[in-house]
Amino acid sequence: MIKNEIEFILNDELININNVDTNVSVLNYLRINKRLTGTKEGCASGDCGACTAIIAELKNNKLEYKAVNTCIMFLYSLHGKQLITVEHLSNTKLHPVQQSMVDNHGSQCGFCTPGFVMSMFGMYKDKVKPSNQNIDEYLAGNLCRCTGYNSIKKAAKKMYSYGRKDKFSKNENKIIKLLKKIKHNDILISKNNNKFYIPLNLKNLIKYIQNNKHYKFVTGGTDIALEVTKKNNTINSLIYLGNNKDLNYIKIKRNYINIGSATPINKIIPILKKYYPSFAEMFYRYGSTQIRNVASIGGNLGSASPIGDSLPALLALNAKLILQSKNQRLLGIKYFFKAYRKTALKNNEFIKEIRIPILKNHIFKCYKISKRIDDDISSLFVAYLIKLRNNIIIDVNIAYGGMDSIPNFAFKTQKYLIGKELNLKNIEKSKQIIEKDFNPLTDVRASSYYRKLVSKNLMDRLFLEINNNKVRI
Amino acid sequence: MQSNNLFSIKKEHESSKKHVSGKAKYIDDILEPKNLLHGAIGYSTIAKGKIKKIDLSEVINSKGVEKVITYRDIPGVNDVGPVFKGDPIFIENNIEYYGQPIFAVAAKTNELARKAVKKVKIQYLEKKPILDIKQAIKKKSFVLKPVKICKGNAINEIKKSKHTLEGELYSGGQDHFYLEGQISMTIPQEDNNFLIYASTQHPSETQQIVAKSINQKFNSIKVKVRRIGGGFGGKETQSFIFSVISTLLSKHTNKPVKLKIDRDDDMIITGKRHDFYYKYKVGFREDGCINGLKITLASRCGFSPDLSGAINDRAIFHIDNAYYIPTIDLISYRCKTNTVSNTAFRGFGGPQGMYCIENIVENISEFLKIDSSIVRKNNFYQKNTKNITHYGMKIEDNIINDIFDHLIKQSNYKKRRKDIINFNNKNRILKKGISITPVKFGISFTTTHLNQGGALVHIYTDGSIHLNHGGIEMGQGLMTKISQIAANEFGVSLKDIKISSTHTEKVPNTSASAASASTDINGGAVIDAINKIKKNIEIYISKKFKYKGKIIYKNNKVYFGKQKIDFKKLISNAYFERISLSASGFYKTPKIFFDNKNFKGRPFLYFAYGAAVSEVIIDTLTGENKLIRVDILHDVGNSINSSIDIGQIEGGYVQGLGWLTNEEISWNSKGQILTHSPSTYKIPVSNDIPEKFYVKIYKKGKNKENVVNRSKAVGEPPLMLAISAFMALKNATSNKQLKAPANPENILMAINR
Repeated sequence: MIKNEIEFILNDELININNVDTNVSVLNYLRINKRLTGTKEGCASGDCGACTAIIAELKNNKLEYKAVNTCIMFLYSLHGKQLITVEHLSNTKLHPVQQSMVDNHGSQCGFCTPGFVMSMFGMYKDKVKPSNQNIDEYLAGNLCRCTGYNSIKKAAKKMYSYGRKDKFSKNENKIIKLLKKIKHNDILISKNNNKFYIPLNLKNLIKYIQNNKHYKFVTGGTDIALEVTKKNNTINSLIYLGNNKDLNYIKIKRNYINIGSATPINKIIPILKKYYPSFAEMFYRYGSTQIRNVASIGGNLGSASPIGDSLPALLALNAKLILQSKNQRLLGIKYFFKAYRKTALKNNEFIKEIRIPILKNHIFKCYKISKRIDDDISSLFVAYLIKLRNNIIIDVNIAYGGMDSIPNFAFKTQKYLIGKELNLKNIEKSKQIIEKDFNPLTDVRASSYYRKLVSKNLMDRLFLEINNNKVRI
Repeated sequence: MQSNNLFSIKKEHESSKKHVSGKAKYIDDILEPKNLLHGAIGYSTIAKGKIKKIDLSEVINSKGVEKVITYRDIPGVNDVGPVFKGDPIFIENNIEYYGQPIFAVAAKTNELARKAVKKVKIQYLEKKPILDIKQAIKKKSFVLKPVKICKGNAINEIKKSKHTLEGELYSGGQDHFYLEGQISMTIPQEDNNFLIYASTQHPSETQQIVAKSINQKFNSIKVKVRRIGGGFGGKETQSFIFSVISTLLSKHTNKPVKLKIDRDDDMIITGKRHDFYYKYKVGFREDGCINGLKITLASRCGFSPDLSGAINDRAIFHIDNAYYIPTIDLISYRCKTNTVSNTAFRGFGGPQGMYCIENIVENISEFLKIDSSIVRKNNFYQKNTKNITHYGMKIEDNIINDIFDHLIKQSNYKKRRKDIINFNNKNRILKKGISITPVKFGISFTTTHLNQGGALVHIYTDGSIHLNHGGIEMGQGLMTKISQIAANEFGVSLKDIKISSTHTEKVPNTSASAASASTDINGGAVIDAINKIKKNIEIYISKKFKYKGKIIYKNNKVYFGKQKIDFKKLISNAYFERISLSASGFYKTPKIFFDNKNFKGRPFLYFAYGAAVSEVIIDTLTGENKLIRVDILHDVGNSINSSIDIGQIEGGYVQGLGWLTNEEISWNSKGQILTHSPSTYKIPVSNDIPEKFYVKIYKKGKNKENVVNRSKAVGEPPLMLAISAFMALKNATSNKQLKAPANPENILMAINR
C-alpha cells in the first residue's frame, strides 16, 4: 500500500501533509507556511547553523535527538519524526540552555542565537559533558559574528546547572506514543509534476527504480539540496533513503565492518573509533554535527568529490562496495572512481553497502588539512595503510584527496616504498616521488605548490607518528 | 550627571530573552503585508565592459513575475553613492565589477523571483579589468586623489639613522558576514509615500538616497529599524541599494515588496574591508626608536569611492598606533579596481594602519634581536613629551604605558616568552610564538559634521518612558546602554524605559551608527532631552511646592528639600498642571575640528586604549596553527555596562583574528569573486578561540572628556587587539615575511621562503 502524505510531529502537533512542493525545505516550510520565524536563514547552504532545529527519532523505544540544518533538509524527509523548533523550548519559563545563554551574555545581535540554542539543546539532550572539546564539536556548525564565542561556550558549560530535566523529559512518553502511531508505508507524493518517494524497504526501492528514470537519491540532502537553495533548480524526482532500515545499519562480519549506505556519518564514528581511531578523528572534522547527523556515507561516496573526506580513507583501506540494481555486485573501491565526479554506478544502480576490512596488523593513519580546523573542506587529505615486518614495508596504500580529479593512490610512491625499510632516508626519497604522482590544481582552498609541499611533509608526520613522536598542535 | 546603581553594572542585553526564544523580530520575521511581492536582482557576470545586448523577455514572461526594472525605470538619480557619486543602482552602460546590478524583478514568491532572474540573456563586450592594487598604482587608476603628508624631514632622518629597514607588506580584505543578510521591505503609503523596513546602520541616509532615486522629497520616505542582525560597517552604506530597489519595485507595482538577498549574492554584490599594500623605509636607533618613516599606503577601493576617502584617512590617522614617530613622509593611494566597492568595516581603515606599523616594529625588533615588547615600549607616546601626532593632535589622555606594563605582569609575558624560546629549541616540528601589541584608537567621526545625534523622549502619564534616538541596535548593546542612561537620569528602573525603534519620523538627520560613537552621541542627546523635561518639572515643583534648589531623581522617587514624591505621582500631577513631558534632545561632540587641506587638527575627542598578549603554536609541516592563550587588558573608561563591554572586546578580538588568519577573499583572473559563501569563506568558529581567553577591563579607566559616565567607546578598538595573534604567528615562523591572512598556506610559505 502506498500512502500519499507524510506524517510528522511539529513540536507537539501531529501533521499530515502533501500539499506543498516536493523541493520545499523544512526552513521555508517553518517560516513561510507555519510562520514560525524563530528559525533563521543565514546562508541556505548548511554552513552557518542559524536554521538549526532538532529532530527527535524513535530508537529502541527512546527518543534520539539530533541537530539538523533545516535550510538544506527537504520537508518530506521529516516523515515519522518529531521536529522541535526554538519556539517550543520554553513556555512560561526559559529552557535551561536559554537561561544560561541569557545569564552568560551569549547573544549580541541575536540572529545566530536560536541556532546556537538549538545546537546546545541537542547537546543537553545527549547529556554530554560540557568540556571544551565537546562544546566545540557540538557548536562547530554554528557561526556567530558578534560574540567571539567565549560567552556562548560559557553558557554551554553552565547549562546543566539550570536543571538536568526539562519539559521534553517529562513529555517523552507522550511523544513516543504519538510517533508509534505513525505508520510506516511506502509514500509517494506527487505535486506539480514533481515526485517524492519514500520506500519502506529495499525491495520496494528496487522495484521503484526499475520503473522510473531521472530520479535523484537523497538521504541527508546536505549536498543535493544546494541545487535548489543555491542554483534555484527544481529536482523533479527525489527518492528519500533516510528512513530505509535496509540501508541504515552497521554490522561487524568476518573481519569486515559492513555499513549500510544510508547510515549517517555520526553513527559510524563510534565503530571507527574502535578500529581506526585516526579515521574517526578525521570524521569529527567532517562538516558539522548538523551535517554528520544526517549526511550518509553512501552519499559521500556517490558524490565522488575529489575532496570528499572519507573517500581517500576508504580507498586506502581497500573498502569494498556492494552495488545494487535488480541484482547485486561487489566492487573494489579502487574501481569505483572513474573521472571527475563520475563513478562506476550504472543506470538504476546504487550503493547498498560499504565494507571496510578490519586490518589488525596494519598501521592506518589519515590527515585532513584545511584552512579552518572545523567544518571546512580539505585542501588536501591523505590516508596511509602500512604493514611492516621487521620494519620493512610489506604492504602500503597511500591515497589522496584534493590532489587529482578523483580520490587516488600515489602509485609511484607506493611502488617505491614496497620492500623498503621504514627509515628517514627512504621517507625522504619517497617525498621526491610523490611529486611525480600528482599535479594538483590551485583553487580557493590552496595553491598547487602548497598541496605538493604538504603532501610531502605529511610523510614526515607519518614517520614521526609511527615512531611515537608527538607532532600535532 | 548623577551616578546611580544602574551604571557600572553587568546587565544582560535588553533583547536577550527574545533572542534565545526566537521572539526577536528581524525584517524577514515581520508579519508580511497582503499582496507582498518578492524582489531579486540580476547582476553582471563580467568585471569590466559594456552590455552589447540584453534580452529580458524570458524574465518578463517567467512565472509569477509582475515587474522587471532597469536603469530606465528610475525616476530620479541613478546613484546610491553616499559621499561621492559613482555607485549606480543599475548599470546604464559601463560595467565596473562582477556582481554589479543590472536589473531587478518583483514576483509572487522569492523562489519565482530568483528563478526569473536566471533567464536573462546578456551579450557583453568584455574589457580587461584592473584587479590588483599594484596594477592600479601603475596605471594611476584611483577613485580619489592621493594624499600626501609630511612631518619633519623623514628622508633625511632615515639617512642619518644608524639602522634602516625597508620592505613591502600586505593586509587582506574581509567580508562582514553579518548573520542577517541584506534585506529591505518597502510598503507603499498614501500620497506616494513609502515606509521602509531596512537592515541598515544608517536610516537617515537610506531615506535621503531612496527619496532622490524616486525624485521625491525626503519627508515622503520613512525608514524604520528595530534591530539588525549584525552590521560591522557592511550596512553603513551598502544597504542603500537594496532599499532603493525594493522601493523602486514597490513604486512601480504599487504593492509592498520585500528584497531579501541570498547569502552568495550578498557576498558578490556588496563591498568589504579594503585590502592594503604597503611599502616602507624606516630609520631607527640602537634601541629600536624610530627616527623617520617613509611610507606608501595603497588600498583597493574597488570601482567607486563610497567611503574610501574617510577610510584611507583613518588608516593614515592610525599609522602611528601608540608610537611617537618624529618624522614621517607618507603617501596614500586610493586605488580604483574592477572589483566590488570596498566599504566601512569595524575599525574603518584603522586596523590597516596599525597592522602596518606593528609589522614594522616587529621587523625592527627582529633585526635588532630585541624582545619586541621592549621596542614597542621604547617607541610609545609619552605623557608630557613626544605627545604630538603626525596630524598635529596633542594626546592628552595617554595611558598606554600603564596598560602595557600591567598586562606584561598580569599575563606573565616575560616568563612565557622564555619558556617558548626553550620549547622552540627543543622541538623541530612544532613551534610556538608570543606577542604583545598595543592599541590606541581615535574616537569621533573624522568627518566633523557627522558628530551629532538626536533623541526624542516622552514620559506618559503613568510614568512610563518612551524614547527614540538616532542609533541602531546591531548587537552592540546600544539600546541597553541608552536605557540605562535614561533610567539613571530619571532614577527609575529599567523596565520603565521603552526604546521602540530607530525611526526617521522620530529623530531626523541622524548619522550612521558607526565610528564606535553611538553611545556617546545618542546617549548625550538623550540626556539633553531629559534635562529639558527636568527643567519643566523644576518649574512645576518651584510653583507648586515653592521650592528652588536641587532635585534628585532616585529609586523611583523625586527628592527636593525635605520632601519626596513618587516619580509616577509627580508625572501625573505635572500633566494636570499642563507641564510638557516630552522633549527632543541634541548632542554635538565638542572640541573637535579638522583642516582637511593640511591634514591637521583634532579629529578625535579622545582615544581608547588596550593591549593584548597572544600565544600560538604552529606545525611547520603543514602551517596548521592554534591559539593557545590570549590575555587582554582594555580601556573602556568607566564602563556603563561591563558585560556588554566584555562582549564587544571578545567579539572584536575574534573578528580581528578572522581578518588576520583564516578569512581570505579571492578572485579569479577575470575578476569573478570565488569566495562568496561560507563554504569557501571561513570566519572563526568556536574551536578557533583559545581555551585560555582572559579578558579584563582596565580598572583605572576614566574618560578625561565629558562623555556619559566617563565611559569610552568600545565597538571598534578591540578588533585591533588581534594584531597580537598575527605577530605571535610571525614570531613562531621566526619572523619571516608572513603575509596576511596568516592561514596555514601563508604560514608554511613564510617558513619555507
